[in-house]
Formats: sequence, structure tokens, C-alpha cells
Amino acid sequence: MRRIFAQARKELTQLVRDRLALGLALVLPVALTALMGTTISLTVTDIPIVIQDLDQTPLSRQYADAFRSSLTFRVVALPPATSPEKLLAAGRVRAALIVPEHFMREVRRARPTQTQLLVDATDSNTAKLVRGNAAQITRAFALGLGQPDTTPLIRTATRLWFNPGREPRKFYGPGFLVLGLSIFPTVLAALAMSREGEQKTILQVYVSSISAHEFLLGKILAGMAIGLTQCLLAVGLMYTLFGLHFVGDPTPFVAGSVLFVFCMAAFGSLVGGAIPNQAAAVQAVALGGFLLSFLLSGLIFPVENIPDALRWISNLVQARYYVVVVRDAFLQGGGWPAVWWAVLAIGAIGSVFYVLAWRSMRRMQVKA
Amino acid sequence: MNRLLRALFGGRFWTLALKELRQIRRDRRLMISLVVPPTLQVLLFGFALDSDVKNLRLGVVDLSRTRESRELVSVLTENPTFQLTGSYATTDVLGDELSTGRLDIGVVVPYDFARLRSRGRPATVQVLLNAANANTAQIAQGYVEGAVAFLNRDASGVHAPPVELRPAYLFNPGLVNAWFIVTGVFGTLIILNGSLVSAATMIREKERGTVEQLLMTPANTLEVVTAKVVPLFVLLMTMVAVVLVVARVVFHVPFRGSPALVVAACACCVLTGIGLGTFVSTFARSASQTQLISFFINPPLAMLSGGLTPIEAMPKWVQPLTVVNPIAHFATIARSVLVKGAGLDVIYPNLLALIALAALFVGVSAWRFRRQLS
Repeated sequence: MRRIFAQARKELTQLVRDRLALGLALVLPVALTALMGTTISLTVTDIPIVIQDLDQTPLSRQYADAFRSSLTFRVVALPPATSPEKLLAAGRVRAALIVPEHFMREVRRARPTQTQLLVDATDSNTAKLVRGNAAQITRAFALGLGQPDTTPLIRTATRLWFNPGREPRKFYGPGFLVLGLSIFPTVLAALAMSREGEQKTILQVYVSSISAHEFLLGKILAGMAIGLTQCLLAVGLMYTLFGLHFVGDPTPFVAGSVLFVFCMAAFGSLVGGAIPNQAAAVQAVALGGFLLSFLLSGLIFPVENIPDALRWISNLVQARYYVVVVRDAFLQGGGWPAVWWAVLAIGAIGSVFYVLAWRSMRRMQVKA
Repeated sequence: MNRLLRALFGGRFWTLALKELRQIRRDRRLMISLVVPPTLQVLLFGFALDSDVKNLRLGVVDLSRTRESRELVSVLTENPTFQLTGSYATTDVLGDELSTGRLDIGVVVPYDFARLRSRGRPATVQVLLNAANANTAQIAQGYVEGAVAFLNRDASGVHAPPVELRPAYLFNPGLVNAWFIVTGVFGTLIILNGSLVSAATMIREKERGTVEQLLMTPANTLEVVTAKVVPLFVLLMTMVAVVLVVARVVFHVPFRGSPALVVAACACCVLTGIGLGTFVSTFARSASQTQLISFFINPPLAMLSGGLTPIEAMPKWVQPLTVVNPIAHFATIARSVLVKGAGLDVIYPNLLALIALAALFVGVSAWRFRRQLS
């Protein structure tokens, strides 16, 4: 036990003396979470659209005003003698609404009238949002025309749970907390381990009486100390910048965080022990840790959309489970009944990493 | 012309460039990181990043239990957006399932649903949405309202609503999300890999102290710098070609515009990446340091480029920053040219910006490198 703590203290002392690594440990994760959590979003507001009004009647202008007054769209003036297609191709607008001639006359005669919406579908997600919003505005407008036989017989009362304002940052903020925690503690752990190999100080470890378990646990303990500090800072950020707080029982989050940080430190030590070259180890961790946790954890894009051939990999990615735990703690508040399996999975993956790291250590010890 | 050729192939430049090429070739790790990650990343990103909203788990509390209420449920589950996961007896159970994350959306049909409808009075259906993911919630809400509007139209007989919107999707009628992602990731790959590889070759001279040997050669600094840049440029352009082939063959990205324009944009991007890598390497003392420093630069550069998420969705104060982001300009060019078939008349501002950024980065890094030499 004493030796484990001594090892951890040595690691932390080494870290404090390296200004670059310290910045990487404490400043960067918080800065990145703040920056990305607030800026990354798929939900576009203020989409530039253009309206070509071929009717030019009070009713068609009223229809156009309905689009003008929505928060989703920003109506751009159509320059004279330009077709809306041209603006779309130039990327100046995302959609074009075309109101046909005789729009008012047809409506007054109670004949079904169609307006056309041309959507730039290069970005398919935005295209869907544009279509959905434009259709909603049109339905509301048609309702306002007040023809008695068109009052809807079914109405929907939609309640938005967990994030009533539909604020993207409340979803992405916790996600980037996970990303920050899965990159930086891992990189630091890998650096600390591969440095021993690169500078041959690992030989001193081999000749000392410290066992592989004690050495590894010391390293991991130091990594966990860094990771948990980061986690605390990030939680502070959630409370201040993202306006989130724990809903329900925070104990699954605490348990999940401790296990996740352990898992990432063990992974870092494993990579660092296997690759005794700092640059190569960092590259491997960055590629493996970052790419996997970014792509296959449901951080921005849902896991369910990944093709089956790749999706099974995401079951082995610890960040995927931690995302569930964090989002539950800050948004849904389901507590243990909702996330016990995710916490268990993080623990299981962590112990696999630890055993692998320990075995690679032992092998080296015999060799040296 | 002849003199220029001789200067290129007979002189010191060629020798130095050859030395660089050989050094890169012998570094197996560098060669691997030049070829494998870009291809793998484009494939992974293109397949894995799909913002499509589908297969949302739908739970129903049907208190009416009539033909009409079952019709409503079947209309909702007709499209692939919703997948009927379970029926529940009470709203409380449904609420629990929603908060434990086993459902994404819940629909409650009131007990008097059929009666109200037959009397021609409006009935209200409650929709509970897990809105934690704002994007999914918004699209799902649109679908539910669309389905209900469809039912209403059916119910009111032959009368179609007085005004109806007909959407038409241009440029990507199949709404293939991969086209957006692949064209966006492309620039990120070029910049990140370019800077990584160039930083690795630059720092090697520094780590091994061979910078002094370069100084002792009769070559001047300009020759040293260009001899370092040119082989990297050639190798990275090969990577660009591989990625373009993957985009075309695997993801079927349409090449509607002139590929020459895209290649020109790629060349600018490669130069910017090399410049960035060289710049970083002049600050670092070791290879691991360059990689740590690049952690400060690369993630913001990649995420704030509009490559993966639309720029318009970023806060207003961030949007102007993307003007100095080469990846943002490249993404605009790649999308306009490849998907929309735009020409130089549309993308020239982005191309000019990219050229300016490339010149800036290469210039500053050459200046820093020279200062380090002398």
C-alpha cells in the first residue's frame, strides 16, 4: 500500500514539473468541453431562405410573413432577375419557397393549392429540419384561413421531457465531458508509462522490490487523481456554463466516473507499456481512444445508426457506457435502475485493461 | 527552362529531396500513418456518423382501444422513424420507461378518442418526447405532426388542406448523410495528417541534431525548406487521390463539378497542413511534445470547421471565426463542386481564402524554420 502511494506521488510530482503536460491535464479538457459543448450542434436556426412570390397578393404576402416571423428561418431578399435555383447553387440560401400564381384566387375558391419548397439537401439533416419546420408553418397558416371543415379532429399535445427548451448544449455538454475524460487522462497515463520505457528508468523499477501490481496501481492511482480532478472541473462547468445539475441520484455518476477514470488510466498504461516510445504511444492513444470514443459512443450521432457490421464494436468501447451514465445523471435522472448495466460494463472493461496491462508488465519483468 | 530543370534535378535540391523521400520511406511508422489512417478514417466516419433519425422506440398507452386509436398507432409506425416497442396500461409506467431510457417517445390516446372523433369534436393525443437530444426531438416532433395531419386529412373526407407544401430535395434527393460527412471529413484529414507527418519529419532533424549538418551543406535555407516540403507534398497528394477514390467508389459521392478544382483546393489544404505542422515543430523540443501541442490546435480546428456539423448551427460569435479555418473553406468547396456541381464563379472566394491561408502558414513556418537554422 505504501509503495503504491509512493509511486503515485512520484508520478504527480513529475507531472507538476512539466508545464505542457499540466496544461494538458487541467486547462485543455475544460476549455475544450466549454468550447465544443456550446458550439457543436446539429440544430440549425436562422436558416437563410428565399421566397419567390409569383402571386403578389395580400394573402401570399401574409403567407410569406408567416415564414418571416419564425425563428428558424431568415428570409433573404431575392435579387431582381435571379432564379432561386441560382441562389441555392451558390449556397447563399438553404431553401427556396415558391408561391404560385393565382395562389389567393385558388385559396378563396377553396381549391387545394400547393406551394413548392426547394431544399438544398447537401446536408441531409438540415434538409429534414427545414422541411419539417416549413410544413408546420404551412399547416398553421392553412388553419388560420379558417375554413370550417378543416379544423383538425386530432390534436397533439406534445411534452418535451428532460430538455424542454430543446437546447442542444444540454445534450452535447455532457457528451464532451466524456470526450475530454477519455482523451487526456489516457494520453497522460500512456506518456508516463512509455517515458519509463524510453528513458530506460523501467530497469530501475525491475530491480527494485516493487511488484508489477504495486507499480501499475501506483501509476493508475496518479492517473485517476488527474482524471477525477478533471471530472470535478467539468462538473463545475456543467453547473455554470451549461445550466445543468444532477437530477435524481448522483451516486451512479460518482461510481461510473471513478470506474471510467480507472478504465482510461489502465488503457493508457497498457498502451504505454506496450509501446516504449512516447511519440508513438501518444499517437496510438489519440487514434484509438479519440476515434473510437468519438465515433462509436453516440456522442453526436446516435449509435443506432451505425451499420450492423461496425456497431458491435461500440459495445466494447467504454465511452459508450459512460455517455449513458453521464446523460442520465444530468438529464433523465433514472438513477441505478436505468444505468446499473452501464456502470457494470465500464467496470468490466476496466478490469480487462488492467489484467492486460499487468500481464504485459510481467512479461517485460521476466525478460529484463 | 533548361536551367530551371537542371536546378531542379541536377542540383542540391534534388539530392536533398531524395534524402527526405528515403528517410520517410524508411520510417515505417510514418509510412503507415500516411496511408492507413486516412483511408480508415474516411471509411469509419462515412459509415458511423449518421445523424439520420430512425428506429426511435415508441411506447403507446391506448386507453381507447378502438379501431380509430389503432389506426393512429399504425400510421405512426408506418415509416421507419418509429418502431413500436411496447404498449402500457398506464401513463405512469410509460413515464418510467421514458426516464430509464428504454423508450424515446410515448403516445397517450385518451379513453374518449373514438367517441369524440365520431361526434366530430377534436380529440387531443398526448405525445411525450425524450428531448435530451434536441435534434432528434425536433425531427421526431415534425414526423408525429405530419402523421396526425395526414390522419386529419383522411378524416375530413375528400377535402385536402387549402394550402399544402410540396418539398423537393435538390442535389441530394436520397438524403444520403454520408455525402455531407465524407466531404466534410476530407479537409480535416488532409490538414491533420499533413501537419502530423510534416511535424514528425521536421522534429526528427531537431531531435537528432542533424539541423547543424543541414546548415553545413552548401544549400541555402530556401533549398533546405523546399526540399523538405516537396516530397511531403507529393506523398500527401497521393493520399488525397486515395481518399477521392474511396469517396467515389465506396460512398458514391457524385462528382458533378470539375475535379480539377477540388484537386487545386486539396493542394492548398496540403500546403496549409504542412505549414501548420512545421510551425508547431519549431516550438517543440521532442516528437512527443509536438503531438501534445497539436492537441491544443487540432480538435478545435476540426470541430469548428463545419465539417461534421453545420456552421449555421454554431453560436453567432463563433461563426466569423470559421473564416480563418482552412477546413471550413475546403468543406464548402468540396460540397459545392462535388455535390452541387458549382464552378469557379461560385467558389472563388473560398479558393482565394484557402490560397491566402496556405501562403500565410507556409510563409510563417518557413520564417520560423529559418530563424531556427541561423
